[in-house]
Amino acid sequence: MSGSSGEKTGAAVPWPAHEVSGRSNLWNYVFLLALAVFFLWSYWGSQVQLSLLFSREGGGQILAYIQKLFPPDLSGPVLREALQGAIETFAISLMGTLLSAAIALSVVFFASRNLIYSGLLYEMEPTLGWKRGLRLVPYLAAKGLLNLLRTVPEMLWALIFVFVVGLGPFAGVLALGVHTGGVLGKLFGEVLEDVDPQPVESLQSTGASKLQILLYGILPQVLPQFISYTLYRWEVNIRVAAILGFVGAGGLGQRIHIAISLFFENQLFTLIIAIYVLVTLVDYLSAYLRRKVT
Amino acid sequence: MRERVAMAYQYRLEKVGKVFGRRQIALARIDFVVQRGEKVALIGPSGAGKTSLFRILNCTLRPSSGKLWINGDEIESLHGRRLREVRRKIGTIYQQHNLVPRLKVIHNVLSGRLGRWSAFRSLASLMRPLEVELAWSALKQVGIEEKIFTRTDELSGGQQQRVAIARVLVQDPEVILADEPVSSVDPSLAASIVNLLIDIGRDTHKTLLMNLHSVDLALAYFPRVIGIKNGVALFDLSPDKIDDRLLEDLYSGHLPPSDQEKVAHAESNALAYP
Repeated sequence: MSGSSGEKTGAAVPWPAHEVSGRSNLWNYVFLLALAVFFLWSYWGSQVQLSLLFSREGGGQILAYIQKLFPPDLSGPVLREALQGAIETFAISLMGTLLSAAIALSVVFFASRNLIYSGLLYEMEPTLGWKRGLRLVPYLAAKGLLNLLRTVPEMLWALIFVFVVGLGPFAGVLALGVHTGGVLGKLFGEVLEDVDPQPVESLQSTGASKLQILLYGILPQVLPQFISYTLYRWEVNIRVAAILGFVGAGGLGQRIHIAISLFFENQLFTLIIAIYVLVTLVDYLSAYLRRKVT
Repeated sequence: MRERVAMAYQYRLEKVGKVFGRRQIALARIDFVVQRGEKVALIGPSGAGKTSLFRILNCTLRPSSGKLWINGDEIESLHGRRLREVRRKIGTIYQQHNLVPRLKVIHNVLSGRLGRWSAFRSLASLMRPLEVELAWSALKQVGIEEKIFTRTDELSGGQQQRVAIARVLVQDPEVILADEPVSSVDPSLAASIVNLLIDIGRDTHKTLLMNLHSVDLALAYFPRVIGIKNGVALFDLSPDKIDDRLLEDLYSGHLPPSDQEKVAHAESNALAYP
């Protein structure tokens, strides 16, 4: 073939119709313009004023506050308080995450379409309309429950639970567990929808019951990812647990709230250092464990 | 009287059809009878409906039309526990092995026992394997007993195929369905695996149905060969009555893989050197 045929082969390329007409290009520009308008609208809507942040006065404020933080108060009672707060925060995050995994596990199997609704486990059942419809009920109920748990933020749950069980870390555990339960339920559900159905069918063909198929065919496929997601959410939860105390749900947050309110800046710095150390430790631990399971 | 006649059959199919979705016809109309202990090979072009037929025969797919009797039971009438009981007596070896990759070999082999085990026993065995000797001897029979505690996804395709065979051995069914059991192993091993399955079938008086890609293997090892094309049985004969004309009919209109490869090769050449 010679070079002159290059033009001809170029013309022979079957471009999609909208690419040839060039109309889609116009839509691309319209889309970009809309994006720009949206950005500007949000910019004004959130009252961004960079001049405030970077003004001489703003800078001075920051410097002054940092100066007040130094030096961290490392006296015995403050250190003991920080340690106790850190332990409490750690405990809240751990218990909350375990609770959330338990909630997610007990709901997610009903909330996954291929298991309950479209019938990974029901291949041979007669597909009567009303029976299918009946399976829609637990499916929608579980989906709805997970959505509710997830959409209400942890802080709001914490306020509710402080009201129910009183001030202290238990309210924090409940708040984390309930909200993260919704989040993990959604994530677990996505993992379940990706289950390879072929091993499941081959177990079915040996005469295994639904529970046995769950144990031998489905859990081995999904469990590593379940654990990995749970550990990742634990990393998120340790941060949340550190501020849940602002609404009275225990941990470091409660002590930070007090330190800020009473202008104990040096104690505040000690508590911030405690958060930094704690979060870093949990990040490393979780990353290490996640490497182990996958 | 009618009951007794039905009981002598392992399988009896009457106008069995399967339609996926609204219009995708996998099986149009299949009629045949398989006696207990019979050895039957099924051949035909890919996409002819052989795999769908096997999924119907092992009761994981319900036919959309027609009737199917297994051991005299009409399959339409079976549900729940009775359905599982029928499934337990049918062992399937799948083309893609269909093992759980993350489980150790022993658990994949022992999953053949699930039809006999309670839920509690199944769970206990995941913690610490039960009936290890049984699994060991099954793996020994297929020659990979040393892999018993290896994770299944660390095995080669051929080894996984033998794990799947060991699972069926442990299941100890009345019927063995083998869907293209040698398509993923090299030709030298293929004959020995087919041989192994036939031996197992003969020694324990099992009914054996096998989908085969290789016409030669089917004609060499099986006393009865069914040719399937476009969802119907084109012929159902002993191998000495199957001539080249029948086979040509069976595979006509179907591009053999060697030709497809040639075309693909020619195209890739054209692109590589413009």
